[in-house]
Amino acid sequence: MAEAAAKSATNGEPAKPIMRVDDLAVSFDNGRGPRIQAVDGVRMSVYPRQTLAVVGESGCGKSVTAMSSMQLVPMPPGHFDRGRILWRGSGTEIDLLSLNDRQMRDIRGNDIAMIFQEPMTSLNPVYTIGDQILEAILLHQNVTASEATEIAVESMNDVGIPDPKARLRAYPHQFSGGMRQRVMIAMALACQPKLLLADEPTTALDVTIQAQILELLRELQQTRSMAVMLITHNLGVVAENADVVCVMYAGRVVEYANVFELFSNPMHPYTRGLFASIPKMLTRRDRLVTITEVTDDPKQFEKLPGASEGVRPWWPWHTPPKDMAAADGPAGDYYLQEVSPGHWVGVWRTAAVHDHESRAPDLTYRIADDPAKVSLRPKAQHVETTVTGA
Amino acid sequence: MTKSQGGEAITGIQALQGEGVHVSQGFWADAWERVVKRPGAIMGMAWIGIVSFFAVFAPVLASGHPLVMWELNAAGERGAMTSPLLQHLSTTDWLILIWSVVCTIGLVLPLGIKRSRKLAWIIFLSLQTVATVIVAAGIKGFFGKRDAADWARELEQSDFFIMGAAALSALVCALFFLLAPTSRTIWKRAIFVTIVGAVSGITMFQTWETPPPTFQYMQRERERKIEAIYTLVPWSPSQRLSDRSTLRLEPGNSAGSALAETLTIDLPLMGPIGDDGVADVLSGIDRLPLQAAEKATAKEEFRAWVEGARTIQTEITSENAGDALRDIMRPFGRSFRVGTDTLGQDVASQMMHASRLSVSIGLVSTGIAVVIGVTLGALMGYFGGKVDLILYRVVEIFMAIPVLFMLIVVAGVLPRNTYVMMAIIGCFTWHFSARYTRAEFLKLRNQDFVQSARAAGLPLRSILFKHMLPNGVTPVLVDSSFRIALAIQFEAILSFLGLGPVDQPSWGRLLSDAAGDAGAFAPWLAIFPGLAIFLTVLAYNLLGESLRDAIDPKLRKARV
Amino acid sequence: MAAYLIRRLLLMIPTLIGITFLVFMLIALSPGGIGAAQRFAGGSGQSGVDARAQQAYLEDRYGLDDPAVVQYVRWLGRISPLKFGTRDQRDPAGTIIRSPKPLKPIAMLGELWGTEDDLTAPGEVEPETLSDDSAVNNATYRKASGAYLLARLDYIAAQTNLRLALSTWGTAQGIRGVLNNKSKLNESKLRGLHIVEDGPVPQAVQDKGLDAASTYRDAQEAVIQAYERAITSYNTAQVQRDHLANVYAAKPYPQVGWSIIPGVLSLGPPDFGTSSSRSQPVLALIKTALPVTVLLNLIAIPIIYLIAIPSGILAATRAGTWFDVASGAMYVALWSIPVVWAGTLMIGFVANERSGLGWFYVAGLNSPEADGFAYLPSWPNGDFHRGFMLDTLLHLCLPVSCLVYAGFAVLSKQTRAAMLDNFSADYVRTAKAKGVADRVVVMRHVFRNSLLPVITIFAAVFPAMLAGSVVVEKIFTIPGMGKLVLDAINLRDRELLLANTLMIAGVNLLALLLADILYALADPRVTYD
Repeated sequence: MAEAAAKSATNGEPAKPIMRVDDLAVSFDNGRGPRIQAVDGVRMSVYPRQTLAVVGESGCGKSVTAMSSMQLVPMPPGHFDRGRILWRGSGTEIDLLSLNDRQMRDIRGNDIAMIFQEPMTSLNPVYTIGDQILEAILLHQNVTASEATEIAVESMNDVGIPDPKARLRAYPHQFSGGMRQRVMIAMALACQPKLLLADEPTTALDVTIQAQILELLRELQQTRSMAVMLITHNLGVVAENADVVCVMYAGRVVEYANVFELFSNPMHPYTRGLFASIPKMLTRRDRLVTITEVTDDPKQFEKLPGASEGVRPWWPWHTPPKDMAAADGPAGDYYLQEVSPGHWVGVWRTAAVHDHESRAPDLTYRIADDPAKVSLRPKAQHVETTVTGA
Repeated sequence: MTKSQGGEAITGIQALQGEGVHVSQGFWADAWERVVKRPGAIMGMAWIGIVSFFAVFAPVLASGHPLVMWELNAAGERGAMTSPLLQHLSTTDWLILIWSVVCTIGLVLPLGIKRSRKLAWIIFLSLQTVATVIVAAGIKGFFGKRDAADWARELEQSDFFIMGAAALSALVCALFFLLAPTSRTIWKRAIFVTIVGAVSGITMFQTWETPPPTFQYMQRERERKIEAIYTLVPWSPSQRLSDRSTLRLEPGNSAGSALAETLTIDLPLMGPIGDDGVADVLSGIDRLPLQAAEKATAKEEFRAWVEGARTIQTEITSENAGDALRDIMRPFGRSFRVGTDTLGQDVASQMMHASRLSVSIGLVSTGIAVVIGVTLGALMGYFGGKVDLILYRVVEIFMAIPVLFMLIVVAGVLPRNTYVMMAIIGCFTWHFSARYTRAEFLKLRNQDFVQSARAAGLPLRSILFKHMLPNGVTPVLVDSSFRIALAIQFEAILSFLGLGPVDQPSWGRLLSDAAGDAGAFAPWLAIFPGLAIFLTVLAYNLLGESLRDAIDPKLRKARV
Repeated sequence: MAAYLIRRLLLMIPTLIGITFLVFMLIALSPGGIGAAQRFAGGSGQSGVDARAQQAYLEDRYGLDDPAVVQYVRWLGRISPLKFGTRDQRDPAGTIIRSPKPLKPIAMLGELWGTEDDLTAPGEVEPETLSDDSAVNNATYRKASGAYLLARLDYIAAQTNLRLALSTWGTAQGIRGVLNNKSKLNESKLRGLHIVEDGPVPQAVQDKGLDAASTYRDAQEAVIQAYERAITSYNTAQVQRDHLANVYAAKPYPQVGWSIIPGVLSLGPPDFGTSSSRSQPVLALIKTALPVTVLLNLIAIPIIYLIAIPSGILAATRAGTWFDVASGAMYVALWSIPVVWAGTLMIGFVANERSGLGWFYVAGLNSPEADGFAYLPSWPNGDFHRGFMLDTLLHLCLPVSCLVYAGFAVLSKQTRAAMLDNFSADYVRTAKAKGVADRVVVMRHVFRNSLLPVITIFAAVFPAMLAGSVVVEKIFTIPGMGKLVLDAINLRDRELLLANTLMIAGVNLLALLLADILYALADPRVTYD
């Protein structure tokens, strides 16, 4: 059933990304120190019904990327240096960064919704749950208050909150953390957004609740056919949920591939380091491998396809190679190169790279469309896969 | 934010590699650096510096005693030279002068000691001076009381009394410096104990009996018996107009009649009244803050008085009468630059001397409040439970009634002197710092470093004051600047209400003279003392604001 | 909520007891003390024996010769609505009448002269039967109480006389300090001495010469006479007292309050006593003064909130702009202006007709002729007539502006800081992510949450305002609590001062309670159950 739905979707229209991030650079004022470049030349794209996982350590710029697409980066101290975030809400592409406040507000919560890491503080403590969900609905949909309440109840029902009618009158502090995150999701989904930005939605929750929330997200993604940008630093979450993975480091994309490609064939030493540091079952170890053990090893940098021609993985701790052919523009020392089909790696812009400029990262891959892999997903059988829209 | 928009930006990696990272010099040094960047803080500190300067040097800047005086013999030749001003300085004046000189030398001279160490020295020396001053005042006050006990009276008569009192004050010095961790070796400490003890002991001994102030210099000058050079403001705060008379501008007493009344008392002592002198006075009346009709009456009354006086005094020339009259008449005359109060005392001189009261009340009362508050707050926060329950009830009792109201009541029933005032302001505002400290200590006591200090078996004193206090005292310190400002305001208000110290001039009391009951209003008494209070309070508030912004990281973030 | 309120109200009682105890002890232990207070109020012009007798009478009347704690407990008993023992009675004039105080016997100083047997013991008088007619009883009571008052006065005077005689006698034989500096007898100085009528003069006195010996003899004679007089007057007073107590026990007047356990516990109106400086019941004085002070604050507080909160919000939304910096600087400056200076300047330059503009009134709450005004403004015959209300408001302009300006700083800074705190809160980000407009975010989300600290700061603003109004009332001569307090202090009026302290503390505590209730209403997370 999933396959059929996926096919109809792919056949019905040419695949076009719903959102494309193009050469985004954001910097922050740092008091008396120099400005901090949080994001520098990030490129990525996300397709309808696709889950793009953005992975990286704290401060690598993944949240800033997501927040930028909602223009939620506090300005000042933040500042968009360059780049575009192209949104294809209804046919034509518009640059989200160029929208004024009014236009942006129409998109926020309506087309793009976001859920945050801290469910404990993300809800306003002095208003009832109902007030807060209704606020979003009444803003974006032309409905009466009672209709809005119905939508809210339905939405709360969808995210699995028991007795939603009574719960509408409850205050956030009367909910547990997991329930609050469900409320956040209900609030985000109440207006049927096309893209959901989930900024570490499960980090603050305990493990069992994490699984429930992620399952819920997956299920809702299927039923509502929305795209999800899942920001996380948990590789387990990535493996279970992502279609495409984007690994970020120090404000730049270091690797970009579909989830199976990335897990089976990580090309950037940093990605390899990440995987090496995961504890494995059935392997007895005194201590785990650290990421730096991998990235400090020069041999790891030789393994990239094309390494012999001078394609070197970009790594900020290294001095740039001698044969640099850096472009004059900002972030000219770096390039996101498609080193093998459907697999992008951030590399130094050496002479070898300079000659072979590749296309921007762009993968339509969806596990739901991949008959070979769909069964690999745990609990996929529970997912109700009726596609309503598209 | 516009400063480096297009300029070079660094990545987090570069920051990690140390690029563009400001190396911290420690919490307080950093905070201080941020504080001194603010214009408000600079202005505040500048004003506090000016007031402190007057607080220290007022006795030698504004005094009715000549700085230098020569006796003149019959032929008008200069004889022996004396300095009545120095002779009339009190123990307190001397100690504070010595303290300020030593501290200035210590700060300016490159002694090869670290700044923090110098600061510690100065703090200890200041505490020492304060303690000695209080002991000296206490001893003098106790024995000088009219209804002192018999034994005190007898003791005061004994030959060794002054020596004993001086020795006692020296002992207080010894105590402080022996306890203070100023230097490691006991020998060094002993040397300092001896020096400081000897200085304060000798000062007390020398100045135990200052001659009672009589200000007959001007009259003797007129009689050509002496020649004198005065200081900046040639009036002592308690010195009344021309030593003899007062000009009372009271309700129902018109300026002219007040003047005539005053002059009549002075008539036998005054030189002859010349036409120039009369003209001087008449023009002086024009400058008085009166309405035209009143001026006219005043002139009328004065002319009538002159007629009367001239029948008494047959010999009439001009010179001296002009001086005497001018002194009395002019709020902005030559001698009284800021005018006089209703008792005919010089306002400028009083304001200078009052700065000592304001500075010391602010610092000492806040010091008392912080010490009591931090100690009790630390105990409450650390122990919790029953200690907290009981002590917090006490705090609640203090919180239940407005501080200023309580101060009015207490100052009303207790004796009116400076030290009592300091003590009550301190003792009725301690609960603020107690609450801050309690809250901090409640947070701190469960933190790991406190737990580990406890696990290491450190004594309670060490845990509380060495490990927890430096971490929990920041809010109290920031708050204390505002508390100083508040204490100065309280003192001004109490003095205004007539509940202030009677033994010292005060800005608040001067201000209270400005508006009389029946519509009389002396602008110079309203503006200058009020401005002094306002600027001092503002200075401490600005400093406090800057400190808080520099220290409180939350606010700093919010200010971006 | 009700349980919480009751608990809070009950908790106020120990706090109020604590405050009044503190003040009471300070008054009692201060040099001069309460004794001096009443002396100041009562004694004028007399000297020597008369003055001392007067003082002794006052001390006796106000019970000042007891230890301070006993005096405090007695005061507490009077103001407490819960009364122990038999209920008090109230005469038609409204004065509370208590059972007559017991007499304190003369110090017989052991064997110095006479013995305790010479004194009449209390209760020796036979109780007499009284009629059932209350009018007759009233008359009997009035007569008895008048007689007792005279007898007691006589006894106190005799006692004072005796003390002075003893002092003179002590001095005559070289013993100093028989009386301490509060005119109390220092018994230890006379211990072991005896007076024998016409007895020999001690050797030490004889050695000093004939004059000394005759002085001694005179002094001894005076002591004996004083003793005789004291004993007689004591006995008379004692008889009168017993008689009065008997009449009182027959309840000549209606009793006050309601009995809970008859004869043991009753509920009665608190009795704040009579002001010694104004000879009026304290309660009546407070009843006229408290509304004035409350009115001042009720006008001032809304003004502060209405100006400070919007400007705090503006400053926060425009953090870092000139408005923020300028309003911040202005408020710090305003905050630093001492209220006494502001008041003086306003009187001198704005209100005063001779030296200033003469726009407002210098003093008082109403113009002298205001009593004849209509309440509201009116236009009889086309002329504007301002009326009582407008007259009061015009008088209040300057005092209120003195009271409000300092509050702006605290409140607006608090609002600004709270707003800035909440700007970076996560739920604001959530609201923005929902597409809520910035202005709505500020008012609906940020400000609503910033209300909580603004309510909390009320607990700091209100006490300051209350105390500030004391000063303002003094400056502008407004007949409120502040003037009452300062008069009480200057005239050393203990009852008035204590009652004032209690009232101010009570009003303050109620305001703080109100703030807590408001907080609970504003924040759903706080419940007082």
